[in-house]
Amino acid sequence: MDLSLNVNGRPEQFAAQPNELLVERLRDGLGLTGTKVGCDTGQCGTCVVQLDGRSVKSCLILTAAAAGSEVTTIEGVTTPGGELTGLQEALRQEHGTQCGFCTPGMVMALGELVGNTADREAPTEPEIREWLTGNLCRCTGYHSVVRGVQRACSAAREKAPAEPATTAASGQEGSGR
Amino acid sequence: MTAVTGESPVQEAPVQEAPAQEVAAPEAAAPLAGNGVLGQPLDSREDPQLLRGEATYVGDIDLPGTAHMAILGSPVAHAKILSIDTKAAEQLPGVLKVATAADFTDVMPLPCIWIPGGVESHFPPHPYGLPGARPVLTGDAVRHVGDPIAVVVAETPRQAAAALAAISVEYEPLPVVTLAEEALKEGAPQLHEAVPGNLNAYWTCGDKDRTDAAIASAEVTVELDLVNQRTINSPIEPRGAVGDYNAATGEYTLYASTQGPHNHRFLLAALVLGIPFNKLRVVAPTVGGSFGTKGYLYPDMPLVLLLSKALGRPVKWVDTRTGLMNSTVQGRDHRQHVTLAGTRDGRITAVRATSYANLGAYPSTIGPGVATALMGRSISGMYDIDAAFCEVYAAFTNTVSLGAQRGSGRAEAAFLMERLVDRYASEIGMDPAAVRRKNLVPKEKFPYDNGLGWTYDSGDYQLNFDRAIELSDYAGMPARKTEARTRGKRLGVGIASYVAICGVGPSTRMSKEGMLGGTWESANIRVHPTGEVTVTVGSASTGQSHGTVFAQVAADELGIDPDQVQVYEGDTLKAPYGQGTYGSRSYSMAAPAVALTARKIKSKLVKAGAVFLGIAEDKVVYAGGKVYEEGNEENTKTFAELAMAMWYGWGLPPEIEPALDETTHFDPPDFNYPFGTHVAVVEIDELTGETEVVAYTAVDDAGNIGNPKVVLGQIEGSILHGLGQALMEVAEYDDNGLLVSRDLNHYALPRAFDAPFFTLDKTTTPSPHNPLGAKGAGEIATVPPAAAVVNAVVDALSDLGVQHIDMPVTPEKVWRRLRGESQ
Ligand code: FES
Ligand code: FES
Repeated sequence: MDLSLNVNGRPEQFAAQPNELLVERLRDGLGLTGTKVGCDTGQCGTCVVQLDGRSVKSCLILTAAAAGSEVTTIEGVTTPGGELTGLQEALRQEHGTQCGFCTPGMVMALGELVGNTADREAPTEPEIREWLTGNLCRCTGYHSVVRGVQRACSAAREKAPAEPATTAASGQEGSGR
Repeated sequence: MTAVTGESPVQEAPVQEAPAQEVAAPEAAAPLAGNGVLGQPLDSREDPQLLRGEATYVGDIDLPGTAHMAILGSPVAHAKILSIDTKAAEQLPGVLKVATAADFTDVMPLPCIWIPGGVESHFPPHPYGLPGARPVLTGDAVRHVGDPIAVVVAETPRQAAAALAAISVEYEPLPVVTLAEEALKEGAPQLHEAVPGNLNAYWTCGDKDRTDAAIASAEVTVELDLVNQRTINSPIEPRGAVGDYNAATGEYTLYASTQGPHNHRFLLAALVLGIPFNKLRVVAPTVGGSFGTKGYLYPDMPLVLLLSKALGRPVKWVDTRTGLMNSTVQGRDHRQHVTLAGTRDGRITAVRATSYANLGAYPSTIGPGVATALMGRSISGMYDIDAAFCEVYAAFTNTVSLGAQRGSGRAEAAFLMERLVDRYASEIGMDPAAVRRKNLVPKEKFPYDNGLGWTYDSGDYQLNFDRAIELSDYAGMPARKTEARTRGKRLGVGIASYVAICGVGPSTRMSKEGMLGGTWESANIRVHPTGEVTVTVGSASTGQSHGTVFAQVAADELGIDPDQVQVYEGDTLKAPYGQGTYGSRSYSMAAPAVALTARKIKSKLVKAGAVFLGIAEDKVVYAGGKVYEEGNEENTKTFAELAMAMWYGWGLPPEIEPALDETTHFDPPDFNYPFGTHVAVVEIDELTGETEVVAYTAVDDAGNIGNPKVVLGQIEGSILHGLGQALMEVAEYDDNGLLVSRDLNHYALPRAFDAPFFTLDKTTTPSPHNPLGAKGAGEIATVPPAAAVVNAVVDALSDLGVQHIDMPVTPEKVWRRLRGESQ
């Protein structure tokens, strides 16, 4: 069937099998290999992209079901070799990535969380961990990722001039769960 | 690791860090003459590329004309193959080739290169005839679910996968055995004709008579039966391989998710395919985690090469998660009967272990060594024990082959010893911390021969131990227990100390251990005319920021800016030989090779500097990235000037060759032995039996550290990996040998909310065995957590008479204990 998608701001038209997964279209069809495949069961989150602004697992959705939507992949977040987003920069400073295989999926999932942080309470540490539930990482133990998100949120709020300069301190409470 | 928080503007970082205790061992390595960039928490230069999704993993490689391979794995655990019919599959759309064992009769089986007990008898000849070795495809019988029987190559991955279903195989079922102890019994199903009784190796270390005597005459003895369950490393990137044969030149290229490209080249060219060494190139692109599993040789590697040659096209294979679960080596899997003897007042006098190791269906590349020496020689841990003995029965069963798992061997050893120490403490009514404190190897005894075959290089175990006890607020636990009870929780505290052998290692020593092949590392440094520097190493990263850390090493030695240094590795065509990244050896094996090479460059520059500055050599000072005349700093040449001058080569005397290009092969005098103490605090819910790790303190000693930010990440990841084994991970086989935990719906990996706060600190005892004073770091923190957590759980349940609980400590198991049921 003939389908169309808007991927990273570019209209794409192609013929697809009805059972084609969105991740296959992105990786094999469009050559956008930043999105990774780490499992067969929707458990690992390496394939997360944003569909109309919401993070989704692209291995769990048919291309046909995404037809007509706006898809943002990791390639749509920065330009090649270009400047990192606030979240990416914060993750870099906290070394939130080791082998990097889980990283694009994490950036896409966390992007939604951090995205609007300037106009809301910074997410608490348990909230960040909860948000990360759909993304597996075997290298980092998640701590540096959590620290990265906190750093990104602080930075985002500091940049927002209208907001009083609160910190991400609320993220430090609780038992770590 | 104060430096890490020091540069973080987020003041309330979740990792609570205390001031580090710096302890220099008497035999500390030579001080570094460098510019101080080594030891700094520089940002990883690999990260931006990874964060942008720009790194190329093997699945992202797309060579023109690529065909796709899929592997048919056995659906049953044990059966004779009566026939294979591939005709229907061959007719399907897009299918280019279907191949079975019959197509590869001239290919050697995949060798096992770590043969417990020594290789003297095996070398030469090669382990071609090693009993039970895995063929590239099995033709006579299948021995585990997933055992590769046939392959399909097709135009697309989907066509290849679909065609697998059209291959019909006729099986004659055979009885199945999945436990090592069962496999060794009279009348057990037999896996390999050449291995009667399924026994791959009976291996021992230590002094049996002395140990038996000490146990027989001891005031107190305690015993435990332990299950160190089988686990699956599960790197988030499954394995993959692309084979590309060039008919014009006769050269083969293999792109693979490998942690040892040179090793894989050696094994494939010399031992499996019998092709000229100089016609095989192995490239490791970015590798998505490994934790030991990607150092092994798997059938897909020779298959993509052979099929690429047969078809005249690149052939690509990328595994699925389920495929990984059924084919990539699994870890741990020991059943152990262990005994500890001691005095009434807490002095340990002997330890003895009998272990049944489950090697799976075939001996993996180094699995038998992991199951024996790497475990057995470590069992006495941090303790000064007069008599120790370990015996291992390594058996074949109808399960996936056994291999390394983050902390492999050493984690199993720490688990058995640390469980025993707690059991002993409870038996004599002494505090577990006090028992440990009393038995630590004293500082004056280093180098310390542990009586099991290892000689610990350096350490201050008391300092390390006391730091962990203090940091964890061990003294405050009774009050916390009382408080927890008011919330319906049982609080338990568990300590685990460990010594981990790292820096594998001295080639001769490893040959005695049974390793077929050298275990040295090499590095090359090339200084370009413009003053930039290229470092190439034989090691290959699977996420350890080698590009950052090795640049720090070279820059520090040469006194230049690390940004001037570029690091390359992972491509056998470009990199000097080396054995790869495993057993936490890159920083204590490859980095010293870099440092020593930089010193060669420096000493050449001192010689040449004398010529350029017109002074005697002994008046030349090399410091701060330049040479100058002692007492006359005006007479100087910068590093860049020297680089250009060496490139021109003008005016050099005959004994100084032009250009700056040096290589070092580093084979250390012995291993290094990082160590540490971890303290876990758990709370168990009285109603649900759920165990939550509420605090975790780790004080590790990895000698001098190159980049604390990188090491911090490895320590954090390692601890969570260990907690995973304690609380949730298990590769479960049913009675028919089916792997129940076949995907991530059935195999639990720790998620972000499973991680508690970690309180981390370090002590620093440099290793005398390498010029950096480095010890292994990457996986060491995976060694003790399982023991610490299980000790904590048993502590929490001790008033119910619980003396041991098997991993994983699931809520159901604990809940049953709370209701008074036995194990
Ligand atoms: S590949 Fe989509 S969740 Fe794992
Ligand atoms: S960085 Fe390797 S899996 Fe997350």
